[in-house]
Amino acid sequence: MASTACFMIVSKNDIPIYEAEVGSVPKKEDAAHQHQFILHAALDIVQDMAWTTSAMFLKAIDRFNDLVVSVYVTAGHTRLMLLHDSRNDDGIKSFFQEVHELYIKTLLNPLYLPGSRITSSHFDTKVRALARKYL
Amino acid sequence: MEPDASIETSSMIRVAVLPIAGIPPLLFRDYAAMLLRHHTVSLNSISSFYTEHQKSPFANQPWESGSLRFKFILGGSPPSPWEDFQSNRKILAVIGICHCPSSPDLRSVANQFAAACKSYSSSLVQRCFAFCPGDSQLEEESNKGSNLVLFPPADRQTQEFHLQTMVQDIAASLLMEFEKWVLQAESGGTIFKTPLDSQASLSSEEVIKAKKRRLGRAQKTIGDYCLLAGSPVDANAHYSTALELTRLTADFFWYAGAMEGSVCALLVDHMGQKDPVLEDEVKYRYNSVILHYRKSFIQDNAQRVSPLSFELEATLKLARFLCRRELAKEVVELLTAAADGATSLIDASDKLVVYVEIARLFGALGYHRKAAFFSRQVAQLYLQQDNKLAATSAMQVLAMTTKAYRVQSRASSEPASDAGQSYADGGKMHHHSIVSLFESQWSTLQMVVLREILLSAVRAGDPLAAWSAAARLLRSYYPLITPAGQNGLASALANAAERLPLGTRCGDPALPFVRLHSFPLHSSQIDIVKRNPAREDWWVGSAPSGPFIYTPFSKGEPTHNNKQELTWVVGEPVQVLVELANPCGFEVMVESIYLSVQSRNLDAFPVSVSLPPNSSKVITLSGIPTKDGPVSIPGCIVHCFGVITEHFFKDVDNLLIGATQGLVLSDPFRSCGAAKLKNAHVPNISVVPPLPLLVSHIVGGDGSVMLYEGEIRDVWISLANAGTVPVQEAHISLSGKNQDCVVSVASDTLKSALPLKPGAEVTICVTLKAWQLGVMDADAAASKGVPGTSGKQVKDGSSPMLLIHYAGPTTNPGKLQMGSVPAPGRRLVIPLNICVLQGLSFVKARLLSMEIPAHIGETYTKLVKSRSDGTAQENGSERSDRFMKIDPYRGSWGLRFLELELSNPTDVVFETSVSVEIENPINKESLSDRTCAEFGDPKTRIDRDYTARVLIPLEHFKLPVLDGSFLTKGSQMDGITGGRSSSFSEKNIKAELNASIKNLISRIKVRWQSGRNSSGELDIKDAIQAALQASVMDVLLPDPLTFGFRLAKSSSNNSANLNPPKQADMQVYCASGGSIIAHDMTPMEVLVRNNTRETIKINLSVTCKDVAGENCIEGDKATVLWEGVLTGIIMEIPPLQEIRHIFSLYFLIPGEYTMSAAAVIDDANEVLRARARTNSSDEPIFCRGPPFHVRVNGTA
Repeated sequence: MASTACFMIVSKNDIPIYEAEVGSVPKKEDAAHQHQFILHAALDIVQDMAWTTSAMFLKAIDRFNDLVVSVYVTAGHTRLMLLHDSRNDDGIKSFFQEVHELYIKTLLNPLYLPGSRITSSHFDTKVRALARKYL
Repeated sequence: MEPDASIETSSMIRVAVLPIAGIPPLLFRDYAAMLLRHHTVSLNSISSFYTEHQKSPFANQPWESGSLRFKFILGGSPPSPWEDFQSNRKILAVIGICHCPSSPDLRSVANQFAAACKSYSSSLVQRCFAFCPGDSQLEEESNKGSNLVLFPPADRQTQEFHLQTMVQDIAASLLMEFEKWVLQAESGGTIFKTPLDSQASLSSEEVIKAKKRRLGRAQKTIGDYCLLAGSPVDANAHYSTALELTRLTADFFWYAGAMEGSVCALLVDHMGQKDPVLEDEVKYRYNSVILHYRKSFIQDNAQRVSPLSFELEATLKLARFLCRRELAKEVVELLTAAADGATSLIDASDKLVVYVEIARLFGALGYHRKAAFFSRQVAQLYLQQDNKLAATSAMQVLAMTTKAYRVQSRASSEPASDAGQSYADGGKMHHHSIVSLFESQWSTLQMVVLREILLSAVRAGDPLAAWSAAARLLRSYYPLITPAGQNGLASALANAAERLPLGTRCGDPALPFVRLHSFPLHSSQIDIVKRNPAREDWWVGSAPSGPFIYTPFSKGEPTHNNKQELTWVVGEPVQVLVELANPCGFEVMVESIYLSVQSRNLDAFPVSVSLPPNSSKVITLSGIPTKDGPVSIPGCIVHCFGVITEHFFKDVDNLLIGATQGLVLSDPFRSCGAAKLKNAHVPNISVVPPLPLLVSHIVGGDGSVMLYEGEIRDVWISLANAGTVPVQEAHISLSGKNQDCVVSVASDTLKSALPLKPGAEVTICVTLKAWQLGVMDADAAASKGVPGTSGKQVKDGSSPMLLIHYAGPTTNPGKLQMGSVPAPGRRLVIPLNICVLQGLSFVKARLLSMEIPAHIGETYTKLVKSRSDGTAQENGSERSDRFMKIDPYRGSWGLRFLELELSNPTDVVFETSVSVEIENPINKESLSDRTCAEFGDPKTRIDRDYTARVLIPLEHFKLPVLDGSFLTKGSQMDGITGGRSSSFSEKNIKAELNASIKNLISRIKVRWQSGRNSSGELDIKDAIQAALQASVMDVLLPDPLTFGFRLAKSSSNNSANLNPPKQADMQVYCASGGSIIAHDMTPMEVLVRNNTRETIKINLSVTCKDVAGENCIEGDKATVLWEGVLTGIIMEIPPLQEIRHIFSLYFLIPGEYTMSAAAVIDDANEVLRARARTNSSDEPIFCRGPPFHVRVNGTA
């Protein structure tokens, strides 16, 4: 498991709809902000990168200091973004694919308004479990 | 590390521009701006100033196309330790700027300039420009020797021309200096050192090494000067040599420098061209530059100095060169590398510069989020320095990031706010566009940025910025902030406000949230009605009327209908309801809040409100329109936390929409428990010039009028014109329920008072008659226990309303065009609040009949009376036996009464009086007077909770003739009656009958009075009609036969009395007394009258009974002897005639007897059968007369 990792889902309107600190290092408030800042800035790179490849998993597209941003873009242009400090592409890819499935299940919920925040605690639990498994 | 570095920087001559001798900063900036325009001077233009003293080292100088480039550094800069390495870092010229009027002594100016130049040892040319010298200064000779250049006062254009010439002169001088320097350097033995080289005393090895490297370094520096002199070809030649030499001596740092220079030369040479080949070349060479800078890293002096900054600078230079959208990927890689490198920079300011440059380049690339990220890094570096200037810088840098993080102050984002405008117009909005309003809302980041802005603003001592940041933070992110944090922000707001001057305005609203609640429509008192100029009744059709929500006929103007329109009047206060919400955990004191009006034609009145924690409040904001025209109210001006802000309704509406879409954290109104409100859209409001204003009040109190059922009362309504315009026309109409209770309205009084001047008053009278309560009402009243005390009736809307449509003058005197819309009229609605109390209630009506036998005298009393009815004298004489009038055709004292049972469920006493108007068309007035006198007296008092009966005598209603047509039911009757009653048609008679019933009913009036001023009339028509319906024939129609008895005086004069006796006769008979004595033959006659129009055959019989009711004529104990025929007297009576039958009785025993006549009608026709209500045609019809009283006196 990566020592530092921050996972976020950003809707196609660039609104963060889910965020989780999934690192093993006890999280600090400031660091969490910094992670979000890095992910937010990486969106600029993603917006160009997403159209250069047909793959959903864009691999590590950006970095700041020793933190790397990996991104997975769904067909609906929802971006699953992971900030991490370890290089484990296969694990990250599996993680993204599993979370994507979870996200699709959430979308199938008729009471979920696409583009709004994901508040389901079940989703959160699952994501954290996946993070422990793959990262 | 220097900001703004690019590849071309190497070819720029640095010129320090210094303010000299107390020049005002504004002027200095102005003059400097003039100077800055001349950053490029073509070689072509300086050739006239240039003189070749010796052979120029710049052999390939492009005199036609080349140019010198200047980099003006305002205020100058300290010398750089890397001056030797990169000659463009040297300040090669100094220009002083001075303003002569502010420093009259030119000599001291020259001295000061000279002193200023001392710190720029590397400068080759110095000039001091003195602007606007006076005449005396111009003439002064002392400045001839110095570098002082005077610019004579002239217009701007001349001055600029002058300046250009001077710059060209400087350029020429510099060029000559460069030549001199290069010639000297080629020959001389200058040692070029950089901080990278060991600073310690040179060991022999070092000296040898330095000597080896000197040549290469000199070549590089000469190349630099060639570049500065605008000769890239020469520069390139020198750089090539330098590259060779430095490569050989492994002087990587200088190698990289020379390479950098060569790229610059290449670019200057290919000025303006950008082909891919060149680009690739630049990329290739620069990558090698970066590589060699990295190679030159020496571990032992890494603590002190490192070439890293040059490496980063080179990286940034390349990034800047490539900075284009197509090459974004490469640029991003370069910039990421630079950012990585920056972490290992030692000097904080270097780091700052790198981040600034990275941010700028990302911005230029269109990566605003990246730019914002690095800007924030810069701000954090600034914040690490604990001083005010750094804090100010941090604040400014952060302010630049606000756009990318979507937290910009409204003051700096004016055009963006217009995007939402369409929403207010359309009323609806697409989901997409709502989402777009909240796009990129990263609340965590936004909060952090705002908090940093707040921190830096507080440190920088900018209270307004601090206030604005705290306000944005509090307003947008209150749900994410703990109550303690909210309190902290509130105190931050208060602290900032303390340091702000009173009445400071800020673009960013803080709390509370303000949304439009509703526009109260005009009260019915001052309703405005559009005038329809085409119609006399101008108010018709202007207001939506009728019960239909949708009318197909009004479909024509859809644009007109979808927005509600509101009309306000100049000078009349208006109100708007707004809802305030404070979702935070502290109390918000709104010092004042008032409507913000863009159109500036409304005086808004401020209100002060206090909002407890987590509460919302609906408040009324009012104002007075001052000028006619449209009004737009986009929001409110709020003075809260010491600062004045404008709160737009639209913003809150968008926020609420976002909350419903789950895009915003929370709905501030709902979290305060405010009711969900439908989207109140702002109507089109227009202000019209003053209109008249009628104010009404009901004289004697505006409370509801309490009336008992059936009560009649006058109500006085006073109307006053409270406006400033006279009322020219007015029209009164009624609306609402129970309109018929308004008996009359004195609209003439109002009409006659027109025009009603401002301030004038008129009182009109309205006569009301209370309606009957329905069954439901009565029940409701009863169940309430205290009937009628609550004003429930009024609320039910059962009261009618008076509508007064009124208007001022049709056109304003100012504008008389045909097209102009006439000033609207107004409608005043005066609800007549009638509260009907249950009054006397009618229980039932009954018809009672009663017969008092008449004494048999010598005359037919009733006949006399009936024939003479209508004469006043006769009536007067009959007064004594008021009710006991004798039915003229029955021959007996038959009476019929209508008994009304009335109950009084109220808590007051009622007095009732019954009157029956006697029909007399001739002298109606005297009659009615008499009626009152006659029947008014005996009032029946009905106490509370009691029931009383009132008797109404029915008399004088009999018709004289029993006619078949009254009873016709089928066509078979026609044959019988049609021929005989030729004068009346069937229908007429029927109608007459109905009319006479109605007439009868209408003449019965039951009036009541209660207390001093309540009086009315019971509405019992229906009840009476129902009571009479059953026995109407008995009441109205005469019997077919009437019987009468009379004592016959003697048989001799009987025969003469076929005709009814004259009045004189009656008097005689009455006087004689007519007593009957026993044991005496008593001649009597029975008179039978046929009241029909047909001859009737009858079989008459007379019976006499004693007091005990036994038959006196027949049987064992007969007390009467008889003479003549008493049974089976067959007679035939012609129509409307009387027949007399004389007989005698001989009474044996004195006492009281009753005589009655009866007849069996033979061959009765249909009319008679119908009257007798027989079932079958065979049944004999028996007609019995009323009993007559006979008193037989004894003989003794």
